Amino acid sequence: MLRILFLSLTFLALARPAHAYLDPGTGSYFVQILLAGIAGGGYIIFSSWGKIKQLLSSVFRKGKKEKQGDGKTS
Amino acid sequence: MEKPAKVSASFRDPSGFLFKINGTLYRQINRSYQEDWEQFEKSGLSRKLVQLGFLIPYRKARHSLSASADAYQIIQPQLVEFISYPYEWCFGQLKDAALLTLKIQKIALEYGMSLKDASAYNIQFVEGKPMLIDHLSFEKHEEKPWVAYRQFCQHFLAPLALASYNDIRLIQLMRVYIDGIPLDLAAKLLPKKALIRPQLLAHLYLHAKSQQFFADRPQSGGMERSLRFRKGQLLGLVSGLEGAIRGLEWKPRGTEWADYYENTNYSRVAFKNKAEIVEKFVRSARPKVVWDLGANTGEFSRVAMKSSKLIVSSDIDPAAVELNYREVKSNGESRILPLVLDLTNPSGGIGWANRERMALAERGPADMVMALALIHHLAISNNLPFAKIAEFFAQIGRSLIIEFVPKEDSQVQRLLATREDIFSNYTQADFEKEFGRMFTVTGKEPVKGSKRTVYLLKRKS
Repeated sequence: MLRILFLSLTFLALARPAHAYLDPGTGSYFVQILLAGIAGGGYIIFSSWGKIKQLLSSVFRKGKKEKQGDGKTS
Repeated sequence: MEKPAKVSASFRDPSGFLFKINGTLYRQINRSYQEDWEQFEKSGLSRKLVQLGFLIPYRKARHSLSASADAYQIIQPQLVEFISYPYEWCFGQLKDAALLTLKIQKIALEYGMSLKDASAYNIQFVEGKPMLIDHLSFEKHEEKPWVAYRQFCQHFLAPLALASYNDIRLIQLMRVYIDGIPLDLAAKLLPKKALIRPQLLAHLYLHAKSQQFFADRPQSGGMERSLRFRKGQLLGLVSGLEGAIRGLEWKPRGTEWADYYENTNYSRVAFKNKAEIVEKFVRSARPKVVWDLGANTGEFSRVAMKSSKLIVSSDIDPAAVELNYREVKSNGESRILPLVLDLTNPSGGIGWANRERMALAERGPADMVMALALIHHLAISNNLPFAKIAEFFAQIGRSLIIEFVPKEDSQVQRLLATREDIFSNYTQADFEKEFGRMFTVTGKEPVKGSKRTVYLLKRKS
């Protein structure tokens, strides 16, 4: 699975800092990009959590209302 | 004026190097590093780090001192009294050095710079606290992944995780691998329960797998294009590493010496009297630097501390050293440097040409060596003749406080209980004869309430 993950990331290319004397290592660069991606995904969920909750609860409430409405009309 | 002599460990980074003239340490900053250096100083980052006590203070020196033609500037950093290495640190020291590195990286990012290396060898313990000693570790932050990420994981995260989850002795792998513990090795050694922690799974296991995956896939130049890695993302990475390091713990327990003072038949009277003798001897010799060998948790280092500037308080037992370091921290003691050292196999010269990291003896001689309750361990447990012990002590110290522990002592009896007594020369007379070849006796006092004797010896020139 990791293989697929890494392969799917190889389209992301690297530019090494001009004065770096350490070899940052391609693998080490990719992990950072990968983690930032995961964290970014997490961040989107986290920062939009209010909206997601709102959406979910509105869907839930709507369903509930419909149920209640159904009850009243019957 | 003496010719500049380059420091043998200073060759990796083309930004500059360290050199000595007449015993004074200087750092040359090369022209290729000028832009980064200017930003380091003008942005206020250097001042901030020195102010916080995170970076060794330095001052500008004359350009005419330069050791080569490409010199942009020469600085004179404050001298570190004793250089120690990560394989000589206890868990707490390595952890504090790691956290300092990450803290510095966070501050650097605020000033538009980033650490271009994260070597554990760039950290030294000065006055009880870790400090960065490399002034050329910073570069302008470009929106790229962290160039020193791999090094940080190899130098700090891997040894700390192995010590925490496997065995404290695995920190010694740092002696074998000059650029830190290979991540594939760390990932292989770590137990499965370590991988439950997402940060270790990501920064060690996944990192190792990624390295392996790309190892035999060279990147073609054409494929490379610029990639943005925003500051926020880098800060996130650094915070993640901080969390990973903070979460690693090691408790000193069940070790040889942890309850030495409780289990020994050493009476209170003897202990008190020995402390008085040691204090008197140290006061009379007024040494600047003392190496307390076999210091356990540093009880007698604290006695010597009153009359000297720095006590390198070493012991073979990582638990004793950990307890010693915790005491240094909680009391804010600036004169004690606890270190893990196996005296029967002290740190040798390692790295390129065996000269990158100094052997213990190269870092001496100390003004004074203390060897209290140690001689029997060397002579009996390690079968060392007195002559060899005297020779080594004379090499590493100008003066010596040494305690002779006779065969009748219960601690020696304990060592002899499981083996044949082949030590017919282990007598006080032989001890005095052999040490007398290398040293002059300037003090000799029996320890009240015991059969032991403490000597103050001065090396013959």
